[in-house]
Amino acid sequence: MTADAPSGSIAASYLDGRSAARQAVRIEPAGDLRALAITLPDGSVTEWPFDRLREISGGSDRARLTLALSAAEDDETGRDAARLVVTDPAAVAWFRGRVGTLDTRDVRAGTGRKVALWLGGAVAAVCLMIFVILPAMADYMAAHLPVEAETALGHTVMKQVAGMVGDGTDRDLVCRDEKGLAALVRLQERLAAGAGLAQPITLSVFDSEMVNAFAAPGGQVVIFRGLLDEATSANEVAGVLAHEIGHVAARDPTRIALRSAGSAGILALVLGDVSGGTTVALAGEYLLTSAYTRDAEAAADDFGLGLLANTRVSSAGMADFFERITGETDSMPEMMSSHPLSQKRADLARSHAAGQGPTEPALTDADWQALKAICN
Amino acid sequence: MTLQTSAVTAGYSGTKAPLFRLALWNGVLTILTLGLYRFWARTKVRQYVWSSVSFAGNTMEYTGTGLEKFLGFLVAVVVLAVYLGLIQIALFYFGLHFVFEPTTEAEMLMQVGVFYISLFAVLPLILFARYRSRRYLMARTRFLGIRFGMEKPAWGYVWRAIAHGALTVVTFGLLLPRQTFWLEKYKTDRTWYGDRRFVQGGRWTGLYRAMLHFFIGAGLIVGGAVTGVVPLVLGQETEASSVLATCIIILGGFWAAFGYLYYRVHSFRYLSAHKSLVDNVAFRAEPRTGSVIGIYILGTLAVAAIAGAAFAVASGIAMATVGGAVGTGAAPAPLGFVVIALLYLGVFVLAGALVLVFIVQPMIAHVVGTVTIFNPEALASIRQRAYDPGADAEGFADALDVGGAI
Repeated sequence: MTADAPSGSIAASYLDGRSAARQAVRIEPAGDLRALAITLPDGSVTEWPFDRLREISGGSDRARLTLALSAAEDDETGRDAARLVVTDPAAVAWFRGRVGTLDTRDVRAGTGRKVALWLGGAVAAVCLMIFVILPAMADYMAAHLPVEAETALGHTVMKQVAGMVGDGTDRDLVCRDEKGLAALVRLQERLAAGAGLAQPITLSVFDSEMVNAFAAPGGQVVIFRGLLDEATSANEVAGVLAHEIGHVAARDPTRIALRSAGSAGILALVLGDVSGGTTVALAGEYLLTSAYTRDAEAAADDFGLGLLANTRVSSAGMADFFERITGETDSMPEMMSSHPLSQKRADLARSHAAGQGPTEPALTDADWQALKAICN
Repeated sequence: MTLQTSAVTAGYSGTKAPLFRLALWNGVLTILTLGLYRFWARTKVRQYVWSSVSFAGNTMEYTGTGLEKFLGFLVAVVVLAVYLGLIQIALFYFGLHFVFEPTTEAEMLMQVGVFYISLFAVLPLILFARYRSRRYLMARTRFLGIRFGMEKPAWGYVWRAIAHGALTVVTFGLLLPRQTFWLEKYKTDRTWYGDRRFVQGGRWTGLYRAMLHFFIGAGLIVGGAVTGVVPLVLGQETEASSVLATCIIILGGFWAAFGYLYYRVHSFRYLSAHKSLVDNVAFRAEPRTGSVIGIYILGTLAVAAIAGAAFAVASGIAMATVGGAVGTGAAPAPLGFVVIALLYLGVFVLAGALVLVFIVQPMIAHVVGTVTIFNPEALASIRQRAYDPGADAEGFADALDVGGAI
C-alpha cells in the first residue's frame, strides 16, 4: 500500500501530547515502508506504524490532516494524545488515498457489554418504578389520604376529564335537568345505601357521546350521556354504576391518581416536559380509560354484584348491557376499546341474577325516562 | 495589558454549506432513529465548530464521543426515574393535604401551584446539569494537544446559583451583576488548561457599567408609570397624558430589552478581559451588541423566509395528496397522513439546520473573531492534564432539556 510513497521528507507540525509546544518536524516513510518516521527538531526520531495511523475526523478544513496514533489509552478517544498536523497538499492526498486505516474506528473491548448493561439497567429502573415501587406507595398513600383531600382531588380530576372529552369550548358538561337530577339522586341514594361505604357516593352525568362511566377519587361517579342512550333499562345503568362503586370501595381511583403523579415525572422525563401539568392530565387519562388491573376489575365486579343483591336490583341488567356491548364490533364504544369486557363477566352476572330473590327495577319508568332526558 | 505584549487573534473558518449538509443529514438520522442519533449528531457538529476555531494556525479539537453521551443519558434516566418518581408522588401526596375546594381565584392558583410544585424539585438538578455539561465540554476540548478541564464540585455551584438567583429576584435585578460575576468566577476559577488554572479577576461592581441601558429602560418604565398616575391622582387626567405615559412605557420596554442584550454582551467582555491563565496569559473578547442583534435579526429573517417557503411547498404537496379525499368526504388514506407527517418532520429538520447555519454559527464566528490571547509564548510551558471520565457526559442536561445551542 505504501509502494508509491513520496520520496524525501515533508514538513509537518507535531504536538507531543505532553506539552503545549508545537514542534516543526519532518516526516518520511521509514526504511521498510511500514512506519512513518517523525524527525523532531532535536534530531530524535519517533516512528508511527502506518496501520495504527488514524485521522482526527469531523474537521471543517479538508486541506488539513490531523493524525493520531491508535493506542490502548484509557481515555475517551482510544488514541495517543500526540498529534501530527499535515498541510502539504500532496502528502495529505497521499495519506487519504493510500493509508487505508485512517478512518478505522477503534471500539474498546467490552463496549457492547457496557451499552447492553446500561440500557438494560435504565429500562429495568423505569419499569421497577412504574410497575412496582409507585403502585406500592400509591396503595399505602391512598389508604391514608384524608377524605376532604380525596374529594378535592376528585373534583380537579373531573374537571380535567371534562376538558378532555369536551368540544374545546368552556361549555359546562354536567347535565342539570331538574327531573333528571331528581331521578339521579334517587338512584344515588338507593345504591349508596346498598354499598354501605363510609364515604358518600355522588353521581353526575356528563353530556358526551361516549358510552362510558368512570369513578373519580372521593366517591364521585360520572356517567356519560352516551351510556344512558345505549342502555335500554335503568337496571343496566345500575349494573354499570355498581361496578364503578366497586372501584370507589377499593379506592382504586385515588390510587391510580397517586400512581400517575409518580409516573408523570418519569414520563415527562422521557417526553421532555418536566412540569407537574402532566400529572393531572395523566390521572384523567388513566381514569377515562379505566386503566385498572385485572384483579381490581374482578374485585369491582364482585362488589357490584353484592351491591345489586343488597339493593334488590336484578343483575340481569348488568349482564344484558355487557353482552350487548361485547357483541358490537362495527363501532366499538370507548369503554370497550380500553376496557375489554369478556363474555365471562357477562355470564357471571347472568348466573348471579339466576340466584337472586325478588327484585325491583332500579328506577320507576317515569324516573328512567327523566334520567335519559337529563341532558336536554 | 500593554500593546507591547505579543498577542494572537482568533479566527473562525467554518462555512455555511458543509455545516448545513451536516445538520440536515444529522436531522434525518435523528428522526429515523427516533431521537437516538442526537448524541452523535451533537458530537459531529461540535467537531466541525471546534476545528474551525484557530489561534495562529492551531485549531481546537473536540474529542467527545456520541457513545459516551448515550451512556451518560442512560445513567441520567436511571437516577432521574427514581428521583422524579419518588419526589413527585411524595410532593403530590403532601400537596393534597393542603388542597381544598377552591372558591376564589387565589385558591385556584394555589391548587395549580400544588400540582406544579415538582418544578422546584427539578431546579437544583437543572443547575447541577448545567455545571456538569460545562465540565464535560471542557474535559473534551483540546488545544495544541492539551486538555482543558474543570473541577468537580457541581453542588457547590447549585446552592450558590440558587442563593444568588434568589438575591437577584428579591432586589428586582439590582444585584444581577453580583450574580453574574460570582457564578462566572466560581466556574472560571475551577477551569484548567493543562496544568494551569484560569483565574477570574475584576470586581462584581465592575459589571454595573454594562447595566447602563437596562437601568435607562427601567427608569423610563417607572417614569412612564409616574407620568400616567400623577394626573390621575390630581384628577387632571387627559387623553394626551395617558397616551404619553403609554408611549414612554413602551419605549422603556424596548430599551430594557436592548439593555439586557447589551448587558449580556458587555458583561461577557468585562469578564473575558479579566480572565487569565495562571500566571501570565491574558485574554480579551470584544463582541459588539449591534453585531449580535444584527446577526440575530438577519438570521431570523433568513430562517423564516427559507423555512416558510419550504413549509408552503410542503403544505401544497400535503393538500394535493390528502385534500382531494377530504373534499369527497371520504376518510383520508393512512398514506396521506404519513406524507403529512414526513413533510412536517422535514420542515422541522430544515428549520433546525437553518438556525444552526444562519444564527448559531455566525454568532460563534463573531465572538471568536474578537478574541485575543496575550503572551501566547507562555503556553509552550504548559503540561498535559489527566483524563477526566466526564461523569455523565451531559446526560442530565440532555434528559432535563438544559442545553446550549450546540
